[in-house]
Amino acid sequence: MTTATTTRHAAGVADAVKVYGSGDTAVRALDGVSVGFPAGRFTAIMGPSGSGKSTLMHCAAGLDTLTSGAAFIGDTPLSTLDDRRLTLLRRDRVGFVFQAFNLIPTLTVAENITLPLDLAGAKGSREWIDALVDVVGLRDRLHHRPAELSGGQQQRVAVARAFAGRPDVVFADEPTGNLDSRSGEEVLNLLGRAVRRMDRTVVMVTHDPVAAAHADEVVFLADGRLVDRMESPTADKVLDRMKAFDTKGGRS
Amino acid sequence: MNASVRLSVSSLRAHKRRFAGTFLAVLLGVAFLAGTLVMGDTLRASFSTLFGDATKGTDAVVRSADAITTPGESQGVRQPVDTALVKTVERVPGVAAAAPDIQGAGQLVGSDGKPVGGQGPPTLAGNWITDPKLNPYRLAAGHAPSKSGEVVVNRGAAKKGGLKIGDTTTLRTPGPVKVTIVGLATFGGEDGMAQVTFTGMTQADAEKYLTAKPGEAANIRVRAGPGVGQAELVADLTPVLPKGVEAITGQESARENTDMISSQFLNIFTTLLLVFSGIALLVATFSIHNTFAIVVAQRTRENALLRALGASRRQVTASSLAEASVVAVTASAVGLAGGIGIAAGLQTLFPAIGFPFPQGDLVISGLSMLLPLAVGIVVCLGSALLPAVRAGRTAPLAALRETAVDGSGASRGRAIVGAALAVLAVGATLTGVLVSPSLWLAGLGAVLALAAFVVLGPVASSAAVRALGAPLDTLRGVTGGLARRNALRSPKRTAATASALMIGVAVVSLFTVFGASLKATMDQTVSRSFAGDVAVSTPSFGAGGSGLSPELAPAIARQPAVRYAVGLGRGVAQVDGKGRALTVTDPVTLGKVFDLGEVRGSLDDLGADGIALTRKEAAEQHLTTGDTARLTFTDGTRENFTVRAVYGRSELAGDYVITRAAWAPHRTQDSDSLVAVTFKNGVGTADGRAAVEKVAARYGDPEVQTRDEYARSSAGGIDMMLTLVYALLALAVLIALLGIANTLTLAIHERTRELGLLRAVGQTRAQLRAMVRWESVLVAAFGTAGGLALGAFLGWVLVEASDGASDSAFAFAIPPVRLAVVALVGLAAGALAGLRPARRAARLDVLRAIATE
Repeated sequence: MTTATTTRHAAGVADAVKVYGSGDTAVRALDGVSVGFPAGRFTAIMGPSGSGKSTLMHCAAGLDTLTSGAAFIGDTPLSTLDDRRLTLLRRDRVGFVFQAFNLIPTLTVAENITLPLDLAGAKGSREWIDALVDVVGLRDRLHHRPAELSGGQQQRVAVARAFAGRPDVVFADEPTGNLDSRSGEEVLNLLGRAVRRMDRTVVMVTHDPVAAAHADEVVFLADGRLVDRMESPTADKVLDRMKAFDTKGGRS
Repeated sequence: MNASVRLSVSSLRAHKRRFAGTFLAVLLGVAFLAGTLVMGDTLRASFSTLFGDATKGTDAVVRSADAITTPGESQGVRQPVDTALVKTVERVPGVAAAAPDIQGAGQLVGSDGKPVGGQGPPTLAGNWITDPKLNPYRLAAGHAPSKSGEVVVNRGAAKKGGLKIGDTTTLRTPGPVKVTIVGLATFGGEDGMAQVTFTGMTQADAEKYLTAKPGEAANIRVRAGPGVGQAELVADLTPVLPKGVEAITGQESARENTDMISSQFLNIFTTLLLVFSGIALLVATFSIHNTFAIVVAQRTRENALLRALGASRRQVTASSLAEASVVAVTASAVGLAGGIGIAAGLQTLFPAIGFPFPQGDLVISGLSMLLPLAVGIVVCLGSALLPAVRAGRTAPLAALRETAVDGSGASRGRAIVGAALAVLAVGATLTGVLVSPSLWLAGLGAVLALAAFVVLGPVASSAAVRALGAPLDTLRGVTGGLARRNALRSPKRTAATASALMIGVAVVSLFTVFGASLKATMDQTVSRSFAGDVAVSTPSFGAGGSGLSPELAPAIARQPAVRYAVGLGRGVAQVDGKGRALTVTDPVTLGKVFDLGEVRGSLDDLGADGIALTRKEAAEQHLTTGDTARLTFTDGTRENFTVRAVYGRSELAGDYVITRAAWAPHRTQDSDSLVAVTFKNGVGTADGRAAVEKVAARYGDPEVQTRDEYARSSAGGIDMMLTLVYALLALAVLIALLGIANTLTLAIHERTRELGLLRAVGQTRAQLRAMVRWESVLVAAFGTAGGLALGAFLGWVLVEASDGASDSAFAFAIPPVRLAVVALVGLAAGALAGLRPARRAARLDVLRAIATE
């Protein structure tokens, strides 16, 4: 990519601290993390269980609030927004793919895809939605209910929904966690294609080195701190890096 | 502790909220029931004490033995006794004092010119008995009436009319009497005998204004000398009394009076309340059953795990039932305490709002404790039984599956059973209403119709919600669409939730339709048979009011603008052995002002020994013109009357008509209930009315109404009744709403993750709240629509069945405005029920909701 000074960040956090609980039972899930997620890139957040990777994503996406520090979507600082504005920001500028339960069972596939647009009362771009439907390969399932789809198909619908409103950034939280490896591969390819061909931004939390290898860059988290970054990852390199954490000992 | 009990207790503790609705529903129903029972008993006991206290100085009452009772009346009419008998009685050894008790109707006019009371309870007037021990009223202030025109009134009446000692006002007896209030009286220490007003005058005044001829009294009150018991006194009195006069003990007389109040007022009142608490509990049954069914469904995995770990079916069922028992017993107990509290509260509240109820300790009988408790527990456990059995049937394998919410629609069996029920219901009602009129068959049909609606609910709910919710998609976009689909998710659940509201709304609409039909009937009656221009009447209900002076009609008739004026008085007699109400009037004019239908014979020449009657009565008594009818009057005289006319339409004119001349020898206090007036040709309504009003002003100023106004005011009591019914049904509707709110809360609990997802992808809190509210409104709309349809149908059945069962024609009317209001209230109530669940749903923590297990 280009030099750091010209990199535009789609989302990011600065000096992010997140403390759960108080007193003796307080847990610092994030301990002064600063990281930017460049626009037009596919970033994976990796780390062992309890490293704070999900918390980082939730705070960066405006689902949770930081104890101190700042989180941004584009140039918008999230801490200045009330719940309503935060909701509207999520609706208009952020997309989500979760590990499980990504679809509303009462809505059809088509309706699930346009849900954020419908909630906003926006029409959206017909061609863009059409293109998305073709990319995820669900044209023949548009009028089915989620219960009639396989897990992989459901997750592809979720990916389509995440991109439907052309958000600044799509956050994916263990999107392949509940899928078999082939379905998981399909979903990861979709995310990758969205970034490279459609110039979207994706931030994905995962603990799976194979999944992380689909990203342009991996950031490593341990004990609530950013410990490493890796450009152009491969599954083996990521796995080695993860093993290094284990040998160093989970806690520092 | 037993394992199933321990499980249920811990689960109750963990899910307190889930059972809050159930708890409240049982509590409210039981409280209503217990409150009614306790209040009924307390009032009965208080009245009994009140009468006992007030009349404890009266040891015996001498009165006519025979009473003539007309149909639909609890208290018969007795012939008066001769006041000369007082002297005879006083001479009996053992008698300390005796006084005539002259009773009549007398309505006071308040300081604002409006009549006091008359809306149900009697407005009495009588002689002020000078012996304070014999007089049930006690002088509380002022002095007893000593000369003509002086009166003592009970304190309650004085308060209500804004009257005080020294004031001069009018007493309608029914002719206006100018009276000066010289004293205030209490009854048994209270301001009055409930809402009954009493005016006590001198004996001479009472004889003059309240009796047909001097020297008559309703009865004679007797006080015994020292050492003479009541029974002994009666035994001593009996030999000296003429034939047809009896003596009863003071206690017996007090009991008769208490019984009369009980049967006329208290029993009707408590029965009404019991019926409505029954409706409330029926509604509660539906919402309780629904709650338990949902809770069991939500707990499928938990129960399956228990089964997999080796719990027997019986243990799982028992644990569910134990949970229900805890709720049932505590809610019923709290409800019972609440009911007693309500009764106590009403006891203090009634006097505060100017309704002097006799005070006294609360009477809490064993029945009024046990019945509400038993009903509450049976309703609660009965509703939980089926879901508990279903819990026991959970397959151990279900532990491995995702929690499945029953989204299945209605089974074919249900549709068939429901359809069969519906066909039976329609068949039974149509037969009972149209083919061979029978109230029983119609009633059976009504019950079957209710059952059919409940059974068919789940079958209809999908289509109905889809139709009712159709506008939502366009109106409210995706929020409305989601709400509609949520309501469609579990047709059974939606139907069960709506059923409770449906029953409430059905009863409301039933009464609304029936009330409107009664009004239409009244209207039809007046417009059909009342051919006059204006009516003069004193608006009153029940035993209240004193009617119109019989001199009013002749006075109006003398006005130049008036062509005819006829007064309708009332008399009673036994006609061939059966008590009947007679219309005492001028039959010639009657025929001119009222449309009596086809008249056989002639009304022109009834004379003092002629009678006219309706075709229906004629057929029943096998009488025709020229036949002889034997009439027995209250004074015991028997006279033969010749049937001179048979007319077709009874309605306003009554079933029997005799002349004033024929009635005169047997009359009591004279009064007319209605004076109908026809103007001369060319006299405008306004002019004619003004002329009549001028005359009426001299006779106690009764109300002069046009035909339409008269029809409307005749129906006034119906509106009052409807208001009471609406108030009583509010509880049933409230319980139904609790049910909706509870179901929604449980559904939200089920959909936590889904709601979290919606919030994550951009549903605002406001949108989420709207979604839940609209779902609530949709469920309510379904229940309301079903209730309106069922209520209108049942109303029709009731009207038609009444039409078939009685001789007067009933009109069926659907009041569109009122029903629209009922519908709107149903929808608004739905929105209200959704408020709390919506708020709770909106407070949901997005992260917690979407977090995977």
